Amino acid sequence: MTPSGKPDLSVSIWRGGADGAYRTYSVPSRDSQTVLDVVTYVQRHLDPTLSYRFACRVGMCGSCAMTVNGRPRWTCRTHVSRVAKGDKLTVGPLENLPVVKDLATDMRPFFEKWQDAKGVFEPSKTRDDAIEPIRPDTRQRQLADAGVECINCGVCYAACDTVKWNTDYLGPAALNRAWTLANDVRDAGQTERLQAVASGGGCHACHSHQSCQEHCPQTLNPTASIAGLKRLTALAYLRGEIEA
Amino acid sequence: MLERLQTDILILGSGGAGLFAALHAHAAAPDLSITLATKGLLGKCGCTRMVQGGYNVALNPGDSIERHFMDTIEGGKWLPDQDLAWTLVTQAVVRVRELENEVGCFFDRNPDGTLHGKAFAGQTFDRTVHKGDLTGIEIINRLMEQVWKRPGVAKLEEHRALALIPARDGASVSGVLMIDVRTGGLRFVEAKAVLMATGGGPTMYRYHTPSGDKSMDGLSMALRAGLKLRDMEMVQFHPTGLLAGPDTRMTGTVLEEGLRGAGGYLLDGGMRRFMADYDPKLERATRDVVSRSIYAEMKAGRTTPNGGVYIQMSHLGPKDVAKKFKGMVDRCRDCGFDLAGGLVEVVPTAHYFMGGVQCRPDTSTEWPGLFVAGEDASGMHGANRLGGNGVANSTVFGGIAGDVMPGWIAAHPGRRAPDEDVLAAEIARAQHPFGKTPGNVHVLRERLMDLMWDEVGVVRDAAGIARGLAGLDALEAELLETGVADGDRAFNLTWHDWLNLRSLVETSRVIALAAGRRENSRGAHFRSDFPEPGDLDTSTYTVVRQGAAGLAITEEPVQFTIVRPGQSLLDVKEAAE
Repeated sequence: MTPSGKPDLSVSIWRGGADGAYRTYSVPSRDSQTVLDVVTYVQRHLDPTLSYRFACRVGMCGSCAMTVNGRPRWTCRTHVSRVAKGDKLTVGPLENLPVVKDLATDMRPFFEKWQDAKGVFEPSKTRDDAIEPIRPDTRQRQLADAGVECINCGVCYAACDTVKWNTDYLGPAALNRAWTLANDVRDAGQTERLQAVASGGGCHACHSHQSCQEHCPQTLNPTASIAGLKRLTALAYLRGEIEA
Repeated sequence: MLERLQTDILILGSGGAGLFAALHAHAAAPDLSITLATKGLLGKCGCTRMVQGGYNVALNPGDSIERHFMDTIEGGKWLPDQDLAWTLVTQAVVRVRELENEVGCFFDRNPDGTLHGKAFAGQTFDRTVHKGDLTGIEIINRLMEQVWKRPGVAKLEEHRALALIPARDGASVSGVLMIDVRTGGLRFVEAKAVLMATGGGPTMYRYHTPSGDKSMDGLSMALRAGLKLRDMEMVQFHPTGLLAGPDTRMTGTVLEEGLRGAGGYLLDGGMRRFMADYDPKLERATRDVVSRSIYAEMKAGRTTPNGGVYIQMSHLGPKDVAKKFKGMVDRCRDCGFDLAGGLVEVVPTAHYFMGGVQCRPDTSTEWPGLFVAGEDASGMHGANRLGGNGVANSTVFGGIAGDVMPGWIAAHPGRRAPDEDVLAAEIARAQHPFGKTPGNVHVLRERLMDLMWDEVGVVRDAAGIARGLAGLDALEAELLETGVADGDRAFNLTWHDWLNLRSLVETSRVIALAAGRRENSRGAHFRSDFPEPGDLDTSTYTVVRQGAAGLAITEEPVQFTIVRPGQSLLDVKEAAE
């Protein structure tokens, strides 16, 4: 029992690499406690060798996502009371990414696919030009704005069944970024980007299971963004602008 | 085992400064090898990403760089290096156009499509360009995409810098010793030019806002290298950090200034609205005044259950609050607090470090080959940083460093082999805890945070500072006897906690020393035994340097190279027009 009067949490945490196993710890329960706080408690008080990754502590950096009771989540913004099942927590590394150690994964493949989807702005102007006046109420700008606040935490990538089955699949976050760029009137790389996302592992590989939008902590909707790319690439193909 | 690498340009840090430096250096000299090392994941650690407010820039025809400059100098209480501040405000214009036109950021627009500038405290024009209240995410995401796009920039993610290693001449930089966090192995990266842009981050205080990876490693390295550190007493506190109780990571993180601006109340533990006791502007008083007022309430014991005060927004209508401050309300809700309809406990929280390595406007330092930018540098902000000048600072000077380093290398070709004795000593230093009996690093960290908060915090006096210095000596002695179990050094966070703590103790001592030397109250630095700002015309800044005989502190006169106290560039400009 703890000062809060609640029984201790029983927390199973993944230890080791891909061939690791869960180990269980008893952590005092508190009224104010996130999953990241629980993991931190274990490292500080119970097992100093536990590895995990975090940075900003408040849902801005997307470094601390883990699998919590079967679902990928930001641990810094997940209050224990919202996820604990009968005082039990199971915390593992994100799915669909190589495990570095314990709760930390290697996010390189995620960012490589972001580049493969041409998820990077291609300039049409320079720093010597004035900033382009763009009305915020235009349809294209609103479409771009709707998807742009992704913090690349990898939660959607870990939640996506297609990523699991198809290792070439670029994944929801990368395609969502490509969609925001497809709606950016300042961007000069549209054809190349559409060609990239029309490829084998591109937008047409998505089966619209909608796990990404169900899990996105920012309440973005990558499924809708991918649907938009499917339409754009089909049109571009029909116009002969890109190859099949 | 030490692995040795060579590169032309080594950049430490992947915030606004480090990423801009990489882009500019690569554009200026695509044939040079550029290596960027960062403590966490590229663009995902550090503080630029956490910028909420925005980016100060004089782009509006009704504004002027002279006006931005005067706001910066007056906000800095006449302590800034005026040439650095001038570089900041003039280059911010170029950098924001670059962010929009070349990097791909999209900042909020007015209905007619022009760039929106929002009002921010301490400024005479609404010049803060932003992306909602998540400006840093937009800036860093777009920058990191551009850097990932360039394979010519080698990336060393999760590499912790340990020490600046001098060349054999003892007076220039050879390279940087670091730990590959994932393997626990040591690497020495030799470079022709090094940019230090690790960010400051005063996390030695009980309550602090910076990213959890920050521990003043850069300034600790600079101190041991014998470089001059200026304005080290200047720690900016934000008045409203979230207070969530013991063992919570989110404690200290910022609840934005706009909450008070919009009409939020601050209440003591007995539910009394107390700001009228301190300032007629009530909750809308400046950051430093509100921080000191809350601190006084805490010292008087009129606190909430966790030892802070309350912020109340509900009288403004919970629905309106939830709409206007969605990010803050969501964040509080996820962590179990109702900001829109209930009461949330807050405390002042250490936010930004104005002090740092003394440098020139081209980012060069005393050591040939070593450059510095961002929060590791100093002199741009003086005694106080304006909200919106932080990300301007890191991106402006990071870009300049990237422009300058290739030219410097061309003028100073050839490698500078390291002083092997210093390298060996630093390797031993990093592994020190493995030779001691394992102990509780966490308890020592808590003690440091309490010590700095109580004795060298929001309100200071000579007796407290003396206690702080004595406490730091005792704490350091204990830390050096506290070990970390050796075994698996891969991703060993407890080893890094130990190293973090050592950096923090070293830099805390410099803060305390400088705070003791400044016998007046300017901006972020407040002495209850010397509450007056002192004569502006004879303003000095503190400089601390570590030598063979220990820390030496001096005061240097501020050079008013552009404008003197009592004058304004706006008068000159208006007279000319």
